[in-house]
Amino acid sequence: MIELKEVNKSFKRDQDTLKVLENISFTVEKGEILCILGASGSGKSTLLRLMGGFDFCDSGSISIGSEAVVSPSPDSILIFQDFNQLLPWKTVLQNVIYPMKVNKKYGSEQQRRDRAMEYLEMVQLADFYNAYPHQLSGGMKQRAAIARALALEPSILLMDEPFGSLDALTRQSLQELLLQIWKRAGVTIIFVTHDIQEAIILADRIIVMDNKPGRIKDIVQNSFDRPRDISGGDYLELYHRLYSMLSV
Amino acid sequence: MKNKKLIWILLLLALWQAVALSGRVSPLTFPSLGMILKALVSSIMAGELLSQTVFSLVIILEGLLIGTLLALVLAIVSRTGDTMNSFVDTLITLAHPLPGIALLPIIILWLGTGRSAIVFIIVHSVLWPLLLNIIAGFKATPKLYSDVGRNIGLRGIKLFYDIYMPSSLPYLISGFKIAWARSWRALISAEMVFGAVGGKGGLGWYIFKQRVFMDTAGMFAALLLIMLIGILIEEVFFNKIEKQTIRRWGMAEK
Ligand SMILES: Nc1ncnc2c1ncn2[C@@H]1O[C@H](COP(=O)(O)OP(=O)(O)OP(=O)(O)O)[C@@H](O)[C@H]1O
Ligand SMILES: [Mg+2]
Repeated sequence: MIELKEVNKSFKRDQDTLKVLENISFTVEKGEILCILGASGSGKSTLLRLMGGFDFCDSGSISIGSEAVVSPSPDSILIFQDFNQLLPWKTVLQNVIYPMKVNKKYGSEQQRRDRAMEYLEMVQLADFYNAYPHQLSGGMKQRAAIARALALEPSILLMDEPFGSLDALTRQSLQELLLQIWKRAGVTIIFVTHDIQEAIILADRIIVMDNKPGRIKDIVQNSFDRPRDISGGDYLELYHRLYSMLSV
Repeated sequence: MKNKKLIWILLLLALWQAVALSGRVSPLTFPSLGMILKALVSSIMAGELLSQTVFSLVIILEGLLIGTLLALVLAIVSRTGDTMNSFVDTLITLAHPLPGIALLPIIILWLGTGRSAIVFIIVHSVLWPLLLNIIAGFKATPKLYSDVGRNIGLRGIKLFYDIYMPSSLPYLISGFKIAWARSWRALISAEMVFGAVGGKGGLGWYIFKQRVFMDTAGMFAALLLIMLIGILIEEVFFNKIEKQTIRRWGMAEK
């Protein structure tokens, strides 16, 4: 279980300070998919970085299990919003293998390699296993980063608008892939998006963020059965509810 | 690009030859290309030029190696905190502007005029530009890469080695190019001043000696050799390394 208690975070600017997150408290159950939905600049990435241990909050606490989060850990992998998170001096395949190797996972080098190829296949990048990151498009880099994170099988995945740069079809197939892996591995997923439909498809619960400063506006339960076909009528009500919350 | 360079070189050589054959200069001070080439071949055949060159190159490699190790250690030390950072910064500020040749009298006093004195000067001339470049490379490493590194569990020296080093490679390579050029200069001047130690004085000493013997063509032959080695290192060695690393990785235009 992940627990945030009264988390505050502000950034110093030239003269004043910018309050980015105010009084954020929520818990995430093990194995849950929690979506964080909010406008641009509402502090979603900042929140995810805090949960990953990359930055510190000004006050409040963040803990996983019973331990406070003090630094990043391979057990909770953050997929950054930025495209350039692959290491440019490694090929796509090496980028996926490398974290497993550092963490001495999955036995032999050959097993890691097979596993990496398997995940690259899942994100439809098998043909590019030998390419360097600078030879990929933005969306391809993002997919490779997703493969890298999934292949490591962390118990927590922090995903910052990972499908933001993808076309509708690729996005849909990756959403399905993520759900598959989630079902199989029981991983806990915190998924940042500003796409309402995506939140409805993926989430068990949806945190709607208020803007400036970022506050929790509401936490919405989403208990539709999976797989969810959002063209159906029941979803529309939830969609409008979330939409009106975001637009106020 | 490369072809253009070649054309310019050929033009300059032709110009040289034209001046040498014009009859307005003495072949004793301005030998023709033929004489220089002949001197080059014969001094190589005689063995002396090559053995002096090898002697010089070994010293340079030694100085580069020691300088690189020191630069790496100091660069890492400078990253361990503000105190150490300002210490290394101060060292650079004090030592970097000091030409190696200005240190000669003190070095002779401390180390004599032997091989170790030359190595010392080379280390001095290599260390500071390398250190500056390594530090610049570390500073230019995107936070995103170190975040990714920390996320997968890298810490401390492993983070340096696996993330900061490859990420600063463009800076490292340009640092090595500067270091290489500087070490040549330092070496040749030191050798000219120190003279031969136990029969071996290196290329600098060789050039100096040829002047004393008024073997102008032999002098130019040695200069030509220095240039050839320079071109070989610059165009072949560094070029190859860049092609296989930073250009291949799309990191070259930093
Ligand atoms: N390192 C930083 N230093 C200063 N200000 C920052 C920093 N990181 C974020 N901010 C500020 O915090 C606010 C929230 O940024 P954040 O990146 O968390 O938003 P976001 O919700 O992820 O937006 P988007 O949907 O556009 O990615 C912004 O106003 C931004 O300017
Ligand atoms: Mg963001």
